Amino acid sequence: MPSAAELAWLIPVLPLAGACLTGLGLISFNRTVNRLRKPVAWLLISCVGAAAVLSYAVLAQQLAGAGPTEVLFNWASAGTFNLQMGFRVDALGAVMLSLVTTIAVLVMVYSDGYMAHDKGYVRFFTYLALFSSSMLGLVISPNLLEIYVFWELVGMCSYLLVGFWYDRDGAANAAQKAFVVNRVGDFGLLLGILGLFWATGSFGFEEIGSRLQEAVAGGSLSNAAAILLCLLVFMGPMAKSAQFPLHVWLPDAMEGPTPISALIHAATMVAAGVFLVARLQPVYEPFPAVQATIAVIGTITLFLGASIALTQMDLKKGLAYSTVSQLGYMMLAMGCGAPVAGMFHLVTHAFFKAMLFLGSGSVIHAMEEVVGHEPVLAQDMRLMGGLRKFMPITSTTFFIGCIAISGIPPLAGFWSKDEILGVAFGQFPILWVAGFVTAGMTAFYMFRLYFLTFEGEFRGGDKAMAAQLMAAAGKTAEDHGDDHGHSEDRGHSQAKHPHESGWQMAMPLAVLAVPSALIGLLGTPWNSRFGNLLDPQEAAEVAEHFSWGEFLPLAGASVGISVAGISVAVLAYALHKLDLGTAVAARFPAVNAFLANKWYLDAINDKLFVQGSRKLARQVLEVDSKVVDGVVNLTGLVTLGSGEGLKYFETGRAQFYALIVFGGVIALVVLFGSLG
Amino acid sequence: MSASILFPIAAALLIPFIPDAGDGKRVRWYALGVALTTFLLTVGGYLNGYDPSVEGLQLVERVQWLPSLGLAWSVGADGISMPLILLTSFITALAALAAWPVTFKPKLFFFLLLAMDGGQIAVFAVQDMLLFFLAWELELLPVYLLLAIWGGKKRQYAATKFILYTAGSSLFILVVGLAMAFYGGGTPSFEYTVLMAKDFSTKFQLFAYAGLLIAFGVKLPIVPLHTWLPDAHGEATAPVHMLLAGILLKMGGYALLRFNVQLLPEGHAQFAPLLVVLGVVNIIYAALTSFAQRNLKRKIAYSSISHMGFVLIGIGSFSALGTSGAMLQMISHGLIGASLFFLVGATYDRTHTLQLDEMGGVGQTMRKMFALWTICSLASLALPGMSGFVSELMVFTGFVTSEAYSLSFRIVMAALAAVGVILTPVYLLSMLREIFFGKENAELASHTHLVDAEPREIYVVSCLLVPIVGIGLYPRIMTDTYRASIEALVQRETTALAKVIQPPPGDLIRQPLLVAPPLPA
Repeated sequence: MPSAAELAWLIPVLPLAGACLTGLGLISFNRTVNRLRKPVAWLLISCVGAAAVLSYAVLAQQLAGAGPTEVLFNWASAGTFNLQMGFRVDALGAVMLSLVTTIAVLVMVYSDGYMAHDKGYVRFFTYLALFSSSMLGLVISPNLLEIYVFWELVGMCSYLLVGFWYDRDGAANAAQKAFVVNRVGDFGLLLGILGLFWATGSFGFEEIGSRLQEAVAGGSLSNAAAILLCLLVFMGPMAKSAQFPLHVWLPDAMEGPTPISALIHAATMVAAGVFLVARLQPVYEPFPAVQATIAVIGTITLFLGASIALTQMDLKKGLAYSTVSQLGYMMLAMGCGAPVAGMFHLVTHAFFKAMLFLGSGSVIHAMEEVVGHEPVLAQDMRLMGGLRKFMPITSTTFFIGCIAISGIPPLAGFWSKDEILGVAFGQFPILWVAGFVTAGMTAFYMFRLYFLTFEGEFRGGDKAMAAQLMAAAGKTAEDHGDDHGHSEDRGHSQAKHPHESGWQMAMPLAVLAVPSALIGLLGTPWNSRFGNLLDPQEAAEVAEHFSWGEFLPLAGASVGISVAGISVAVLAYALHKLDLGTAVAARFPAVNAFLANKWYLDAINDKLFVQGSRKLARQVLEVDSKVVDGVVNLTGLVTLGSGEGLKYFETGRAQFYALIVFGGVIALVVLFGSLG
Repeated sequence: MSASILFPIAAALLIPFIPDAGDGKRVRWYALGVALTTFLLTVGGYLNGYDPSVEGLQLVERVQWLPSLGLAWSVGADGISMPLILLTSFITALAALAAWPVTFKPKLFFFLLLAMDGGQIAVFAVQDMLLFFLAWELELLPVYLLLAIWGGKKRQYAATKFILYTAGSSLFILVVGLAMAFYGGGTPSFEYTVLMAKDFSTKFQLFAYAGLLIAFGVKLPIVPLHTWLPDAHGEATAPVHMLLAGILLKMGGYALLRFNVQLLPEGHAQFAPLLVVLGVVNIIYAALTSFAQRNLKRKIAYSSISHMGFVLIGIGSFSALGTSGAMLQMISHGLIGASLFFLVGATYDRTHTLQLDEMGGVGQTMRKMFALWTICSLASLALPGMSGFVSELMVFTGFVTSEAYSLSFRIVMAALAAVGVILTPVYLLSMLREIFFGKENAELASHTHLVDAEPREIYVVSCLLVPIVGIGLYPRIMTDTYRASIEALVQRETTALAKVIQPPPGDLIRQPLLVAPPLPA
């Protein structure tokens, strides 16, 4: 009986097999397979479920103290080069495996309810399984090259899923944007990988780390070049984990179905960048400049995300910017040389953010009953309010998520965020200030979301507001509701008030609420079981040096600023004692516009890169058709002697010419033959 | 080996005698059968008589033809040609299947198709430069006629341009071939093995190399000799397209390896940096033109040019890995290009327009077509798990780790080539977005009947996808067939590199290298 670690290759292969089976079925027997909704869903859920069981077995082994397992085979070879592929299981990988499979299974169960009326139900599940497979493959990759392979594959799945409702223009643009922005990051990643391979002759993490250090110490590679290579590789995580300035794709990616936002764009894929940086710690550690850059970029991102989230009116976009901000925290931890803290925040964030997104999906699903299937209306918080009465489970779990992300003990977010802030305080005090302020902003905007959505009066019947929103989105009332195939039973969709979602959607919410509340207790600084697993030595050190005297002031300060943020939100949106619109927004219109326009980054990108590249391409084509082709055609004309020649050709006698050429050749051959 | 060349040609000659009602139903089955048999012949030859671990020629057949000329019918295959021969017979069989809807003069069409099959296999298989030239010319005529008779509106112009370019440039082959045969006195011989043994002077090699580069550069094509290709592709029908993109372009790459690298290694040592630069130009320039292009066929045609840039870089990389990558890129593009062009044809059959502005939202009714398009586009933009990724990665890795170039040259060229990695998805995904995404174009829907992909079309594309994914998952099934030959070839060019004493202009080669730490074995 082989051990679970040796069978780890099955973890990505199982969902892949399921996805291939249904994918082929979809292409060959479209109608039949599309009708087999439940069987397909059960098949794919059980594939991912089996992968989850295996992952837990692997995790259990790691907890019991098993060492890393690595299995490799020669994948491509030429000359003396051998590119190896295989898989590797260690503590870090085992944690990620369990996390990804758990959330994937829950999201799939949830999707059964959320996508129940969608025409693309089977296709959706196929993509989900494909994504799970690629993501799991990424996690168990033993070297940079294989990571790159799966890195691209998860990017492709994200492309397919963001563009899932391909009849929506928004989805089409968002999908393309996501892929292209990620390719910009991959451009750096690829060059970096190649460069590191040139410098060290290896794709493996530890080998690269040690050899790069040797090379720099031995003088065969300059320090600057090594730093450049490290930063090039970092471009990949920057794009994938939505770090400034490559974060622009993530908010747009919310055009995809909400379960996708929860799985890919909150919990798993976007965390892949953080995961890769954690994997690359042996490479980055010797270069403080690289670490500092990562920390600064993380800090910019966390502040940017939170500041934009302050003014968002779209529920999902608000959550998306909050994700950007939290990813910034993780990067900050990585930059501070504390991968364990970053990974811990990754895990806690994955649970509560997945839950928040699924909760928002539940809200949107319910809103669609009232306002129709129009994302502009169903996702806008100006039409929500008072939903707590109708949706008790959703609102309770969302509330738990809000407390968790705001960092109120003893919920998950407190422990992980506080650990990061603690490390930052020791390493880069200035960055700590930004992280600290942002913690307050986080608490504010999350509770703003909560109050606008679940408290107060229900505003779904406000036709004037709905019309205004439609007009602002540039759509007419005729577009309303009939532009995607989300529902086939639109006839009775205009209900008076929303309803709680079915068990498929409520159950995952309830399940996720448990780890969101409790998982933080695994990472208490005085006895971090999480740290023990990933890096026992460091955890022991931390536990030894732990003193309440240092911990309490910092923790107290972060709790304090969170409470302050929550209080402002309570005053403004629950008690209506404070009108932020007149008190702040009106007084600083420039700031408000700056935030509402997302720091103008989209506009700059559009002007500079999108329009710029189009213009360049058109000019090149012009040159191609006029100059290059012209010169060549002119040469042709000159050779023929006159313009008459071409006319002659265009009457269809060119065969004749070809024959002459051919005959001439034969004649030459014979001539040379007789001479020789 | 001779059988696989002569069989399709002989069978093609029988086509006029097939009784047929004029709708071509019987002819197309016949042609498909012949093409399949040829494919099986080549596969049989590969399985029985070919040993991939041997670097030299195999399956050699030799008959004296015109002894006074030193001309012999000599064919054979080594690692460089064997995969391409297999590719040729494979793509032609699929092209015959793709030509199912051809009803205009079917006899002539299938006759030319089969003649081309034999001609193209001959190009790869012959071992005699004069014979090569004949086969090269012979294969032009069917293409010309296929373009001129079955093409689009501007077919005459495109066909003429094609024949002028290729016929004109192939004169260089003849001249160089003659010069090489007569070099050094003695009995002239055109056989590769004899020519390889000759010790050409460096100056001669340079001239010969330049001549051949022009000849093959038109075919590959290398910017700025490429302008015939968008015209020819823009006018051709789908099966002709598949052959043009799948095989014809590969003749250029094959010939570069066979003659320029193998026969003129010292010339290659001097010219290689130019190849790399041209390769980078190809990648970026063609990607940009493809992005701006509004005509679907021409867009894909430019994307072909862009992909061939990697072949050039690989050939110029002086590393076994890079050269293998170039070889794999040819095979992979043969498969991916053929599938994309087939899909273009299938889409055109339904929409009757190639202008992107007139399409839109087609994905609503043509779901399977949408799926096939997406898969092939992803393959083309080098998604891992598909062959394009492996070959581009091999070229990149081979080039970056090549010791022949100075570090700064490698950095600049690799970075520029990697820009292609960003540009390719930009134009391919924009294309998908414009054709399939969004709301259905009401005007298009009103006057066309958009039916989804039929089983035959799905079958053709999946036949192409199986090797694409197979190579992508485990590239050694392909790379091992030519590994030995490529290693011998690279050995040859590296020794030649060492022989070249003067550094070429620009000091790109043999500069003191910034040496990476020694690799552990």
